[in-house]
Amino acid sequence: MEIRPILSALRHNLTGALLIATQVALTLAIISNSASVIRERLAVSQRDSGVDAESRILTQRPILFSQIDLANLIQTDLDALRAIPGVESVTVTNQVPMGRSGWSSTFATERVPTAPNQSAGLYFDGGRLLETFGLKLVEGRGFRDDEIVNIDPKVQNPPPTGVLLTRRLAEALFPGQSQFVGRVFYQGNTPDSEELRVIGVIERFTTPWAQTGPGNEYAVVFPARYLNPFNHYVVRAAPGAEAQVRKAMEEALEKNEPGRVSNGQYSIQEMRDRRYRGERALAWLLVSVTVFLLGVTASGIVGMASLWVNLRRKQIGVRRALGATRGDIVRYFLTENLIITSAGIAVGVLAAWGLNGVLMSELSVPRLPLDYLLSGVLLMLLLGVVAVLGPALRAAKLSPALATRSV
Amino acid sequence: MLQMDGVQKIYRTDLVQTYALRSLSLRVAEGEFVAVTGPSGSGKTTFLNIAGLLETFEAGTYRLDGEDVSKLSDHARSRLRNVKIGFIFQSFNLIPDLNVYDNVDVPLRYRGMAGSERKRRITEALERVGLASRHQHLPSQLSGGQQQRVAIARALAGSPRILLADEPTGNLDSLMAREVMNMLEEINAQGTTIVMVTHDPELARRVHRNIHVMDGQVSDLDQRLAA
Repeated sequence: MEIRPILSALRHNLTGALLIATQVALTLAIISNSASVIRERLAVSQRDSGVDAESRILTQRPILFSQIDLANLIQTDLDALRAIPGVESVTVTNQVPMGRSGWSSTFATERVPTAPNQSAGLYFDGGRLLETFGLKLVEGRGFRDDEIVNIDPKVQNPPPTGVLLTRRLAEALFPGQSQFVGRVFYQGNTPDSEELRVIGVIERFTTPWAQTGPGNEYAVVFPARYLNPFNHYVVRAAPGAEAQVRKAMEEALEKNEPGRVSNGQYSIQEMRDRRYRGERALAWLLVSVTVFLLGVTASGIVGMASLWVNLRRKQIGVRRALGATRGDIVRYFLTENLIITSAGIAVGVLAAWGLNGVLMSELSVPRLPLDYLLSGVLLMLLLGVVAVLGPALRAAKLSPALATRSV
Repeated sequence: MLQMDGVQKIYRTDLVQTYALRSLSLRVAEGEFVAVTGPSGSGKTTFLNIAGLLETFEAGTYRLDGEDVSKLSDHARSRLRNVKIGFIFQSFNLIPDLNVYDNVDVPLRYRGMAGSERKRRITEALERVGLASRHQHLPSQLSGGQQQRVAIARALAGSPRILLADEPTGNLDSLMAREVMNMLEEINAQGTTIVMVTHDPELARRVHRNIHVMDGQVSDLDQRLAA
C-alpha cells in the first residue's frame, strides 16, 4: 500500500481533502446522534402502556349536559353499553392512558411539607377498570363492586382510602421495598393530607400524558365514579367486533340520553397514535436530515474525486505507463479516500461525543450508545468507498497513452 | 529485442478513420540505440505508444524480447511494461506532488518490490544521474535538465530491457540536451536497448541507427547516418 506517498501528495492538495474530511466529521457527528435520538423517540412511542389489546379498547366521552341524576345516568349508560353484543367489559373513568389530558396529584409517605413526593396520574375506577383495560395486578387485589363510591364534586364527601397504585410509583414512594399492600401514604404532603392505603399493585398503567421518563408509569387508582359531566366510557370489544361495537356504542349512548355532544370515539391504539405523533414526526425529520446529509457527503466525495481524476488525467496516464494496472489505479483512489475519510471519522467521533454532551445537557437526550457511533463509523467508511468507486473506475479506464500526449 | 511486422493502427471517430500506422515493420536488436525520426503526424508517437504497450493495434504482430505481445490483456501489458520497459518523456512527466525519491519509487512499488530493495535501487539510480542529494526535492524545485535526469533515474531503477524515449531533449536547452544525451549513450553502452523518438537531426546522428517514419510507414530502414 502506498500510504506514505499518498499522504505526501495530499499535503499538496490539502484544501479539498480538508473539506471532505470536515464534511465526513460533521455528518458522522450529526447522523450518529440523530440515529440515537430516533431510536429513543421510537422506543418511547412503543412503550408498553399496561393496556392489552389497545385496538380493542374503545373510549367515548359524551358530555352530560343533563341536569338529571348523573349517578343514575352513568349507571344506565354502563348497562346499555354492557348489553351490546361483542362487548366483553365496560367501565367509566375520568381519564384514559395517552389521552393527553387528565388529572394528577402529588403523593407522599409523610404529612410533612419537606417530605419527598411524587406526582402521579389520578384515575377513578367506576367498576371493572382492571378487567376492561386488561391491566395486570402483581400484588393484592382489585376493587370489589361494593367498594366503588360516587364522588359528587358539589358535596364535600370523603374520598375512599383503599387504592391501587402502579409498581413504579410504589417503588418510588417506598424505595427498597418489594411488598406494598397495606402500606400507607398520603395524597399531598401537608398535615391535612388524606391518608391512603395500598390494596393492590398494578404492574404498569401509563398516565394520560405518557411523559418521557419513569413518571409515565406513576398512577393511583381510586374506586370511584366522579359525578361530573366529562367522564370517559371505556368498552372492551371482543376480537373482530370493534367496528360493530363502535357503531352500537354511539347509538346506545344517544338512545339513553338523546342530544348529547360527543367529542369522538377512539381506541387506545388511536390515542397512542395521536400522543406519539410528535415523536414519530421528529424521527422522520431526523431520518430525512440523515439521508440528506449522507447524500450531500457522498456527492461531495464523488465531486472531489471526479475533480481529482480530471486534474490528474496525465498523472494517471504516467502511472499506467510506468506499470500500474487498472486495479492499482482503483486502489490508489480508494486508499486516498480512505485516508481522508478516516481523518474525518477521527474528528467526527470526538464531535459526536461533544454534540451528544450538549444535547444531553440542553435537551435531555440519552447518552450516545457506542454501537450507534461504531455503526456511524462503518457507514461513513462504506459511504466513502462507494462514493469514490465510480470516479476511481473511470480513472482506471484512462489510457496509459495519455502519458505521451501533450495535453 | 523489438520486432514489429505489418502493424496497423487506426484512430476512429464517428465520422472519420485515420491510419496512424500502415503496415509498419521494423526490428531493433538487443543493445541497439535507435532514433525514430519523421515529420509531425508521421506516426512516430503512435509507434512509440505501441512499442511501449501503451496502445493496442488493429493488425500485425509485435514481439517484445521474444514474446508475442499482440494479444495480451491490459493487466499483462501493464506488468510487462513495468518489468521490461523504461520510459523517458519529453515533458518529464514527474508527479508534481511527490518528491524525487518517491517519483523514482513509483514503478518499483507497482512491481511489489520489498522496501529495502526499492531503497537500494532508488539510491543507485539517483547516484547514477547525480541527484542523490536532491532526493527530497519536489520536481518544481528542480531545473528542466534535473527533472529529466530524475525521469531517467525512474526509468533505470527498474532495470528495464528497453528504454523508450519520446523527444527526451525537446524541452531542454542545448547544454542540458547534450548532458541528457550523454547519459543515454552511457546507459546504452552498459547494454540497455534504447529507442528514441526525436526531431533533432544532431541527436539522430549520434545513435547507431536511424529509422525514418513517414505516413505511418518506415520509409528509410537500416540507414546508417554518418556521424
